[in-house]
Amino acid sequence: MNPPLATPFAHIVDDDEAVRDALSWLFRTRKVESRAWPSAEDFLAAWRPDWRGCIVLDIRMREMSGLECFDALLERGNTLPVIFLTGHGDVPMAVGALKKGAFDFLEKPFDDNALVDVVIRALESNARRQANQETQANVAGLLAQLTPREQEVMQLVLVGKFNKVIADELSISMRTVEVHRSRVFEKMGVRSAVELAQLLAPGRD
Amino acid sequence: MAAPLQSSDKGVPQPVNLNPLPNPTAAPPRWYWSLPYAAVTLFIATMAALLWLTHRQDAEEQRATLINDVLWMEQNLSFQFERNDAQLTQLGPNLLTGNDVHSPNEGTIQARLKRALDPESGLIRILWLDAGGKVKGAEPPYTESHLVGETTDVFPSSAAYRLSRTLGRPVYSDAYAVIDNQTHFEVHVPIFEGGRYIGSVVGVYSVNGMLARQVPWWFSERYRVSITNNLGTEIAARSKVSPVSTLAYEIPFEPPGHGLNLVITAYKSEVRWISLLLMSSLGVLAAAIVWSLWQLRRHMQRRQAAEQALGSEHAFRKAMEDSLNTGMRARDMQGRITYVNPAFCRMVGWSAEELVGLMPPMPYWAPEALDRTYEVHSMILGGNAPSQGVEIRLMRRDGERFDALLIEAPLIDANGRQIGWMGSMVDVSDQKRTQELARQQQERLQATARLVTMGEMASTLAHELNQPLAAISSYNTGCLNMIEHGDLSQTELTGVLHKIGKQAQRAGQIIRRVHGFVRRSEPKFETVDLDATIRESVGLVEPDADRRGVAIDLDLAEALPPILADPVMIEQVAVNLIRNGMDAMSSTPRSERRLQLTTREHEGMLIVTVADRGQGIPPEVAEKLFAPFFTTKEEGMGMGLNICRSIAELHRGRLTFEARPGGGTIFNFSLPVTQS
Repeated sequence: MNPPLATPFAHIVDDDEAVRDALSWLFRTRKVESRAWPSAEDFLAAWRPDWRGCIVLDIRMREMSGLECFDALLERGNTLPVIFLTGHGDVPMAVGALKKGAFDFLEKPFDDNALVDVVIRALESNARRQANQETQANVAGLLAQLTPREQEVMQLVLVGKFNKVIADELSISMRTVEVHRSRVFEKMGVRSAVELAQLLAPGRD
Repeated sequence: MAAPLQSSDKGVPQPVNLNPLPNPTAAPPRWYWSLPYAAVTLFIATMAALLWLTHRQDAEEQRATLINDVLWMEQNLSFQFERNDAQLTQLGPNLLTGNDVHSPNEGTIQARLKRALDPESGLIRILWLDAGGKVKGAEPPYTESHLVGETTDVFPSSAAYRLSRTLGRPVYSDAYAVIDNQTHFEVHVPIFEGGRYIGSVVGVYSVNGMLARQVPWWFSERYRVSITNNLGTEIAARSKVSPVSTLAYEIPFEPPGHGLNLVITAYKSEVRWISLLLMSSLGVLAAAIVWSLWQLRRHMQRRQAAEQALGSEHAFRKAMEDSLNTGMRARDMQGRITYVNPAFCRMVGWSAEELVGLMPPMPYWAPEALDRTYEVHSMILGGNAPSQGVEIRLMRRDGERFDALLIEAPLIDANGRQIGWMGSMVDVSDQKRTQELARQQQERLQATARLVTMGEMASTLAHELNQPLAAISSYNTGCLNMIEHGDLSQTELTGVLHKIGKQAQRAGQIIRRVHGFVRRSEPKFETVDLDATIRESVGLVEPDADRRGVAIDLDLAEALPPILADPVMIEQVAVNLIRNGMDAMSSTPRSERRLQLTTREHEGMLIVTVADRGQGIPPEVAEKLFAPFFTTKEEGMGMGLNICRSIAELHRGRLTFEARPGGGTIFNFSLPVTQS
């Protein structure tokens, strides 16, 4: 968890230096930190899975195109939202990219502040996702503290079974079930079964 | 008969049963040829046998005649001898008892002697001897040349004398030679008186004389009569001429006998001229027949070989002709069809029987193209058919039209005289259709390619321009953002504004580059003969015009001054205008599809006019006619007239149009005459 790396950046990938510079300037005027990459290859070489932020990708570049770069990122399990900048006539390609999970695309010439708005949304989305991932990592840590028997009990509680039924299924006394149950609640930091379910429910926004 | 014919049939190729050449007769078997030879040989043999038989019969007949004659001769002689013997017997007593024969009273005896010594009798002398053998007398009187008495001992006469006295009957002596190359013999006749021998009368015969006297003229004419002794030596002959013929007959000369033989030889057998002539003419005739037969046979063989060669050649040609996909048809000088091959029949759908003998118009002439077909027809008959062929639209029996390429060549007979025209016809409709499709495809492709290229270019251009513009826009927005937020840093702003200026320059550079690219295709001016350029352009579009049925009327002014222009561009304009004209007439009736092209000089300008008979140009179209990307055609780019006008302007000329009186449009393309 390296603080500088964890800082969200808008990564600008464009082979035109003026465009990179202008976008960086634009983003700065809206308080968005950005990093500029002169080519898809350079960006891919530097890319790390724990980066935060978003990617602004020009579709038409001299060497590797934006789409190829996007495909490569998908393969690597990139989670950063990707915003495509397209020229005239590249719209069908951009739509294809959207279907594959790109965040958005803007057709040149675009309203610059609209682009910044999209970038900001992308950054927020990424941040939320990051937070989620952190929560889930916490839950996983809490779950790891449970004994196997406590986990068995917890699964049955989550399904909504009563203590008596759990005791029957696990062939233990009701008293023991109650002990396990209170231990699980304690370890997981919840006060009720409903809270526990909320904590474990996946894909929460 | 059947077997040999069959075997010889195998070798003869059977021609296809169509058209003129008759079936060559099968070669006659070999024995066929021996028949006349055998007949001739038999004939000659028969004639020869007949002649030989005749000849033999002749010879036999001759021999028989000869023998007859000889027998007659012999008999004649014998008769003479007997008569002489009798006379001598009669004379005997008178001669021997008489005292003197020379006395006058002995006249009767004299006369009788004389009679006996008649030359006809053959006797040359008569002697009479007494009982003692002494000569008592002789008539003619005795001479030295003849010896009697003592000499009789020496001569064979003494033997005869004694023999006759003993036998008491006449006896002939041997022949003996006497001087003067004569041969004599004697006959001794004993004379008895009262049973007593009183003497002998001797008759002397000369063989030579006898032959001379006793052989009649007709006999000696026909035969040579000779007498030979027992040694075979000829002692006397009637003629000195020696005979030629071998035909001879020999009989003993009796009564003298004693080895004398009478030989009769035919002088010469009659030469039978007629039979000889007959024989020789027969020979000559036979030889002539054999020779002519042999010649005939050779001729026949040669003819047969030629026929066979002709037959196989004919079959070969026939097969070749039938296997062709090219239709062939022959016509006589009047245009009447005299021959068509199967491919032709297949093509038009009428059978050869139906077509042969027809005069134009032919049933396969398409009614709508009748005028042109007639034109081509008369062109061919006039001998003006182009050697590369004429394309013509024809009709099948079912009414389907097809395009045929017709190539005509004069049909020359064996004497070198032209008897008509041979035409080959190829169905080119498929080919044409394919070509047409390919051409359309090509055109479409080219149009697409042009569009794609232009699209690419436009796209690249847009992207290139987009970059600096996007940068400018972003800088600009950034600046605005800063101003809005109030945290304006002057140095920062100055730097960004500089950057904006740089990007604006960059955009300008891109635009300049595009301009430069466009300017690369600048015209290359040179001195141009406008008429020649127009002709060339017409040449380029002519195939297309033919296909569309458009006639191009050229009306070019002569001796136009030269102009300074890019010939390729001028050509481009001309082709474009002609194409437009033809396109405009696509729905005009075929007969009116005429495009008029004129050139003329007017006030220092050369003007090319292209006038069509199309629909004309409606006013709403006329406004936009020269605008780029404006087109009324499905496949058009809308650049043609625009480019044309640009070219005209580049040459300091003009491109205008006006409605044509009577329908259609006239385009005027003017170019200034070079001032020099």
